[in-house]
Amino acid sequence: MSSVLRAGRTAGLLCLGLSALLPMLLLAIWSVGDSWFYPALWPSRLTAESWRALLSGEGRLWAAAVTSMLLAAGTGAMACIVALPVGRALARLDGWRRHLGAALTFLPVAAPPVALATGLQFSFLSLGLGGRPIGVLLAHAVPAVAYVSLYFTGVFAGFDARVEEEARSLGASAGQTFWFITLPLLRRPLAEGFALGFLISWSQMPLTLLIGGGAVRTLPIEVFAFVEAGQDRIAATGALVLLVPALVALAAARLAASRTEVAAV
Amino acid sequence: MRWGLLAAALVASPVAAGVVYSAAAATGLAGFDPRGFSTDRLSRVLGEPAVWESLAWTVRTASLATLLASALAVLVAMTFRRGRGVDRLARTLAVLPLPVPHLVAATTAVLLLAQSGLLSRLGFAAGWLAGPADMPPLVYDRGGLGLVLTLTWKELPFLALVATTLLATRGAALEETARGLGAGPWDTFRLVTWPLLWRGLLPSIVAVFAFAAGSYEAAAMLAPSDPLALPLLTLERYTDPDLARRGDAFVLVLVGLMLTGAAVGLHEWVRYRTTELPG
Repeated sequence: MSSVLRAGRTAGLLCLGLSALLPMLLLAIWSVGDSWFYPALWPSRLTAESWRALLSGEGRLWAAAVTSMLLAAGTGAMACIVALPVGRALARLDGWRRHLGAALTFLPVAAPPVALATGLQFSFLSLGLGGRPIGVLLAHAVPAVAYVSLYFTGVFAGFDARVEEEARSLGASAGQTFWFITLPLLRRPLAEGFALGFLISWSQMPLTLLIGGGAVRTLPIEVFAFVEAGQDRIAATGALVLLVPALVALAAARLAASRTEVAAV
Repeated sequence: MRWGLLAAALVASPVAAGVVYSAAAATGLAGFDPRGFSTDRLSRVLGEPAVWESLAWTVRTASLATLLASALAVLVAMTFRRGRGVDRLARTLAVLPLPVPHLVAATTAVLLLAQSGLLSRLGFAAGWLAGPADMPPLVYDRGGLGLVLTLTWKELPFLALVATTLLATRGAALEETARGLGAGPWDTFRLVTWPLLWRGLLPSIVAVFAFAAGSYEAAAMLAPSDPLALPLLTLERYTDPDLARRGDAFVLVLVGLMLTGAAVGLHEWVRYRTTELPG
């Protein structure tokens, strides 16, 4: 019995390891594989051409990565600024109001991106925002603000507002309380909210496609175009670049979690 | 108190605006060729068998992926629930793909599962397949198996995270109590662990279903052209060279939003039932 169980556990661990690491390994090989035709299991030549082009700033990937980076950073910042007061207000609700508030906030998160984009495109076009980075930024902010608001609702549910009251009763102004008490207490949630907003914009495609109208070339748009064109090597390179912020965010979250565990012990 | 609902309404307002605009465009009041109110377009588009096939295909694919991912998540959480060592490593590996963009998952799936992909090459090397045509089609196939597998892979980390957290935070104490009261291993699982898991997971499962049904990138790369997945059909109509057909997209937008709305409504109702009501 226990040996069967142990074999099952080992097989499960192996599967999880393969499922987590194999895609990255495959993409890495694909990004340097040259003239790799069926049925070869290994590319006949290796080339760092797509990486060299990326790092020297030539080609479409680098420009797209910069565009994506700026849009994602802007979205992350905007999401935090809007979601902070929204999350706080939502956390003060109770009973059915809390559930209605959560459901409303959840709508932009769950709405199909294609439906959101088609619904928004006309108003964005009439406001002169179509085909421009600022329009794409605002469109990315719609789901990002909702996600981060839900996250901040959770944060504020466990937030002790008495510290702020104490600061106020000791004579601090509302502004001082916010800058010197609230903000430092929320440093980590703000960093996590920013990362969340960043990643939502970073991996977004349908909103960019429709609001950007093909004029705003983000990394997902380019990777998609390269896959469709059968340019596997460049597509794999772009896909690996798309993974970088995701892995950095995950590593940072693990690090922060293990620090908290150590502090708790 | 009132500010909270106002803030939530503000966050939801772009979706509301999209719904209002799509409804107006679907009934001839706005959009590409506004000709005054009429329900002709609604009844014509909703009378197309292709639309219902598209909806059914999307619901089936998303449900299958969600079901598979949920079962695997429970399996992972139950198998690797101890605090240290191998269990911890397994849980980390299960959650690792969480922030991977859909597009990256789909790109990898194409490189791996296509008829000239790595899996097919391995089959050839092993002597099981005589060529790319022998490989069962997993990409662009009507059954959508490639898409189901990709969505399952993409959804598993989130559900595994929720399931392991549930067991770690609430499971242990409740199970210990049950055992202390004389329940055997099977009864503990049946009466404590299982209800805790499915009740706790259900909101996440509904959310994951909505994501899978609405996902555009993965479907665009892996789904067949007949029937078209709902997000693909919507965008195809929206970019149709024929302006009259373009307006059809707004009806499809409403169908997609209704599917999501049903999922979200169910989600909040389940949460309300499980947290606010006794028992």
